[in-house]
Parts: sequence; C-alpha cells; structure tokens
Amino acid sequence: MSVVTVVRRAVLWVPDWPVVAAMTEAGLGADVPAAVLHGRGLVAVSAAARAAGVTRGSTRRLAQRACPDLAILPHDEGRDSRLFESVAAAAEQAVSGVEISRPGLMIIPADGAARFHGSEEALAEALVTAVAEHAGVECAVGAADGLLAAVLAARSAELVPAGASREYLAPASIDSLALAAMERVQRQEVERLASVLARLGIVTLGDLAALPFADILARFGPVGVWAHRLASGEDLAPPVLRRTEEDIAVEHVFEDPAERVEQLVHVAKEAAIALDRALLDAGMRCGRVRITARTEKGQDLERVWRTDVGTRAGAFARHMTDRVRWQLEGWLSGTAGSTTGDKGPEPSPLVSLGLVAEDVVPRGSEQAYLWGGVSGADSRAHRALERVQGLLGLEGVLAVAEQGGRSPRDRAHLAPWGQEAPPARAIAHPWPGRIPDPPPATVPPVARPALVLDAGGAPVAVSQRLAVSAPPTWVRLEADPSDDRARAANRHPSSGHVGRVDGPVWDRPRPVESWAGPWPVSERWWSEDASRRAYLQVALRDGEGTVTAVLLAYGGGEWRLEAVYD
Amino acid sequence: MAETAESRLARAREALAGVQRRVGTTRETWDAPTLPLAPVLDGLLPQGLRRGQVIAVAGSTSLMLALAAAASEAGSWTAAVGMPSLGVVAAARRGLELARLALVPYPGAQAAAAAGACVDGMDVILLGPRLALSEADRRRLASRARERGAVIVADGAWTGAHVTLAAVGSRWEGLGAGDGRLRGRELTVRVEERRGGIARLVTVPLDGLGVPVRRGGGVPAVPGHVRALGGAA
Repeated sequence: MSVVTVVRRAVLWVPDWPVVAAMTEAGLGADVPAAVLHGRGLVAVSAAARAAGVTRGSTRRLAQRACPDLAILPHDEGRDSRLFESVAAAAEQAVSGVEISRPGLMIIPADGAARFHGSEEALAEALVTAVAEHAGVECAVGAADGLLAAVLAARSAELVPAGASREYLAPASIDSLALAAMERVQRQEVERLASVLARLGIVTLGDLAALPFADILARFGPVGVWAHRLASGEDLAPPVLRRTEEDIAVEHVFEDPAERVEQLVHVAKEAAIALDRALLDAGMRCGRVRITARTEKGQDLERVWRTDVGTRAGAFARHMTDRVRWQLEGWLSGTAGSTTGDKGPEPSPLVSLGLVAEDVVPRGSEQAYLWGGVSGADSRAHRALERVQGLLGLEGVLAVAEQGGRSPRDRAHLAPWGQEAPPARAIAHPWPGRIPDPPPATVPPVARPALVLDAGGAPVAVSQRLAVSAPPTWVRLEADPSDDRARAANRHPSSGHVGRVDGPVWDRPRPVESWAGPWPVSERWWSEDASRRAYLQVALRDGEGTVTAVLLAYGGGEWRLEAVYD
Repeated sequence: MAETAESRLARAREALAGVQRRVGTTRETWDAPTLPLAPVLDGLLPQGLRRGQVIAVAGSTSLMLALAAAASEAGSWTAAVGMPSLGVVAAARRGLELARLALVPYPGAQAAAAAGACVDGMDVILLGPRLALSEADRRRLASRARERGAVIVADGAWTGAHVTLAAVGSRWEGLGAGDGRLRGRELTVRVEERRGGIARLVTVPLDGLGVPVRRGGGVPAVPGHVRALGGAA
C-alpha cells in the first residue's frame, strides 16, 4: 500500500521551542522558569518551570501559584519561525540540507549524511554539537525509517535500526500521532481522531496498524489513511529540502542623518542603480522591492513596492529611483500613509536605507497570469500610470480596493499606485449596521455640511434615543462653488447675513420627497477616532420628475452630506 | 511646370503610406471597434461603445460607471481623472474590476498631460467635471483617443462629443416616510448624437431587481428596531 518509498531520516528536535525562542528574545537565562501563554492556557513551559510544577495547558493563575516567579511570555508564531532559522543555519554546518517541518522540528535525510559522518551516531553528535555551538540551543536527535518513528525517536534521542520502525511504533500511545501533525488545523483534526480511536479501544499505534486499510479509509476518510500509514511506519512524502540563498539587497548608511530631501535624491538613485546591478549580476529580476529605513530614533520603517519593469533595459533603476525617493520623502515629512488612513511615522532624520529584492525569479521565466501571458495592454497601462505618477508625484495616482466598513467612505481603500498596502479591514466580517446597497456613486473625500429642516424651517435633530425631532421636509446642500447666484443669494440681507459670509454657501432648499432612517452607527468607541452617527437616506425633489437621493449623517448636532446616489 | 501629375500622385501616395505606417489604417476595421457594453445600456448606445469616441455624460456618475463596467470586466483598463469623490464600492458593484482601475484624483494644472497619458495607455478614461482643460486640450484629447482607440467618458459638456447623454429624470423607489431603503432606480436619459437625428429619451433601470449586479450582492437587512425607534417622531 506504500505510495512513497520510506526514507530513512534523522529528526532534530528542540524541546519546548516556543519558550526557548521567547526566552532568547527576552534575554532570559536558561535557568529562569518561563512559559508562553496563548489565549487562556500555557502552550510551552521551560524545563525549570516544569521542575517547579508548572504544566502545559494550565492557566496563568494556576501556573503562578505553582511557581510565583514564573516569567510569562507572549505567544508569537512569527518569532518562533524567525528564530528557528538560526538553528537551521547551525544544523546546516553539519549537513547539507534540512527540511523545517515546524519551528522546533527539523528533518534531515539520514542516509547520505550518515555516510559522510561515518555513522548515524556520529551524525547525531555532529548535529547536537553544531546546534549547541552556533545557535546556543540544546537539542535532541533521533533517526528511524518513516516520519512518525523518527519524530518519536528524536524525543527519546534513539536510533531505531532500519526496518524496525513498525515494531518500534507498536507500543506507542495513539496520542503520539499528533506529534507528526505539522500545522495547527491538522493537529486538531488528528487529536480528534486519536480521541475517537481511544474510545473505540484502539490505544496503541500497533492496534491501529493492525486494522485493515480499507476499513480505516471507509470509516475515517483521509485523516484515517494518514494515521494508518504513519502508524505502520510508512511515509507520506519525501523530505523537501530547503535551499538557502543570499538575499539580493542593497544597504546604504548615511554618514550624517539625512534630514532634507535634497540629501536623499542622490542616495535614492545610487541605491536603485546598485540594486539593479546586483540583480543583473545574479541574472534575476524581481517582482517587488522592500524599502526599509531606520530613523535616528531607532524606528524601523518599511514598505513594499511592486515593480513590473524588469524586462525594459535600464528602466528598473529609473523606476526604483522615483519610488525610493517618494518613499523617503514621505517618511522624512511624515506624510507617508496619510491616504491609507493610518498615521504615518513621526518625521525624523534617517540613518540608513535598505533595498531588498523580493519575488526573485530568473530572468526570462517571469510568472505569467493564470490565463495567458502579461498582455501588451496591461504593460501599456502600467507605463501610462507610471508616467502620470512621475508627473504628479506619489499620491497623484491611486489604486483602489474595497475593504470592510460601514459608511461608504470607510469601505474604499486607496493607496498610491504600485505601493503594497493591504486593506485595513476585512470585507468578510459582518459589519452590522452597514449602509445597505446600492452603494452611492459619489462619495466626497470629506463629508460636506448640510442643513436638514422641518416644515417650519427649524433644524431637525436626532435624539440620543434615535427619535427625529420632526419629519425632515427641506434639505439645503452646499452650492456649487462656481454658482454665483447662490453666493449672491447668501450675501443678500434676507438670508440673515450682512457683508461677508462665513461658512458654507447654501444652495436653495430642496423638498424632501421620501426618507428612511435614522440608522445608528456607533464605531470604534474605544479609540480616538470614535464616531457616533445616525444616517438618513433622503430623496430630494429636484424639479419635474427628477429625484436625487443622498445619504446624510447626523452627529454632534450637525448634519453632513456623506454621499450622493447620482 | 517642374512637377508632372504622376510625380504629384506618387508623392501623395508616399505621404499616405507614411501616415498609414505611423497611424495604421486598418485599426478601426481589424481591431475590435467596440468595447463590450452592459445589455441594459443598449438602448442608449445601440451602436455599442465605439473605440475612439467621446461620450459626454451629464448629471449621473452611476451612468459613467455603468458605461465603463462591462469593458472593465472584459479586461480593459479604466482611469478616472479628476474624480476625487468616485464611489469605489459603487464602481465595484457596477462591475468594474478595481485591480484595473486607477484614480488620478487631483491632476490640477497638469490635467491635460495626465489625461493625455491615460488616453495613451488605458481603454476607458473617465474625466471629472472640473478639469483644467481648454477647448484645444479637449480637441487634442479626442483626436488622441481616436488614434489610440480609447473611449473618453466625460462628465459635463464636451463640444464635439460623439454622443451626449444627459440624465434628465430619475426616479427612486423603496423609500417611505422614515422607513424603507433605496432599492430601485430608473434613470431617464436624453441621448443626442453628433451625427444628426433628434434627441431621444431613454429610460434605463440602473439599480434594483432585474438589474444584474456583480458579486457580493448580499444586501444586509435593514434593522427593524431602528425604524420603530426612529419612526416614533
């Protein structure tokens, strides 16, 4: 039934990796009792803490009762995998290729490496020494045929002889299947399967392996097949070895912290040309460039830009020069990120600049679209937009995307063309109270003032309890700025003003034909940009047979025109 | 007389060939002369969305978006120049592919250059109402669009536009007195073509039932309790 030839492999396992990584980053010594907390329970516990009686899965309070000076560290999967890179690099001092299955666990094909080192014992010793020396981490190494046997062997630092995996696995508990699950979702699924099997009286891997394969498939589906194969000491897939390659990157350190744009123009050009040359030397082209900078205050800034110009000779350096300059200008002046809604970093002089090529592919093997190649029209459009961006500056051309939100303005996401800025809010979230479709075609970038009046001409208000003080009968919007008649009418003494008019110039009042609302939206009450508004959809009669629908919002005692359905 | 009839003819032929090399004569016939258009709008533009045309639209941003939608869905690029208040969600619902839509919200004094660059590279160009374009700029843009096979959809009047669409009437349904919500809409459009003929009035159902709306048509229910509270006044 074996589909994949069983590979003899060595497994390198770092016990309690999440806590080891967290302690490394926090700068704690190995003897400090520490634990990593995720959600309500501890997910990893250091050896010192375990000796003090802290167990995995216990709550923070229980753990602190067992060991009052326990250091509780936050959970961070990114940190786990980032720091495991150094362990992998250390292991690569001893062997030529490794597969990182999950942070904390590494698979090495044992045959070749063992031949090189003389024996599997020598290989294990070399690996443990290399990791301890270069990464400063204790680890255990085991070897066996098949994935699960090797993982189990590593946990007890054993070398299982060839062909003995099935016998080695047979007495192991059915729960140990979860050790071979490499992702969290898969792990949950396997744990569920193991608990079902245990309740059916199948408590060891040997029991599971003894069951007929077809019955397992019929009863438990793919997960069952997966478990049966592993329990029989078989393999699912050969190890996928990673290859390490140097990043193609350029780094520039300013001699004096750069404060003015003029200082940067030259540097931006130099850095772009250097990156272009580095890419050319490597025979590569890149799809994206990550621009990083460090400010005098020690803040790290970074932004990813798309580049689609690799094939045009010399264009890459020119293209990148502009982008690097814009980005640095934005960071220097503190305006970067203003269109995306989030606040840009505080303006501060820059001390270093880095460019890293991402999505690197060999020249000539650029990835095409799913259906067909990059069309001529697409590259023509990109060129046109780049030209306009060169004309008007970074924020002259915007790319748009839809994002989650309630008001029509919140649902649009704008970012400078070419910059990678993921939408801030997911569309898939429910957004209760969202203004219902159809969406308005005109959404002013800033809400405009409006007046909503009742039949007697008094302003309409919406109370705390969402009661409208009177049915809205008239609406006055801002007049067109070029409308001289409206301006003159506003200056006329009959409008209540004398002399210069402050505030908006109102258009003539328009009768309300029908209206709906108010719909309350109270957003982000916990933050500074909290808003509490009531929305009103109003249809205004604009003459014979013409109705204009608008969306008005009431908040803070004032009406604002949010959008026009024109 | 130094020049014979033959030599003049040869010179003229040569000049014509030069123009053909530069501009291409067969473009209009061989390159698909029209862009796809939503079937709802067939009544407005029975001849389709011809490449190289200028369409002036007055009084309805939705109509501009609807004109560009089908082409964008079929792979065309769209630029909106001088339309800072374009409703992005409305554009997406009408069917525009946002990945192929670029906004040039404030071209300012560079409007002619920016619009020109867009005409060169994009298929459909939406021009906002208050752009700093002189009559000469507009003529130049129109001829560039004709040469490139792009379609200009301009908000407001445009002298010499091939088709002028003016929203003269609009009817919404779904709103009551403090209840309901906007649902359907009928737009009455006056269609004037440059090539003679009297103006026609066409009524188009732009929103509402029966109008195909692309993905994400999930309409959240209007919260009923709100109406009870708000309608009390």
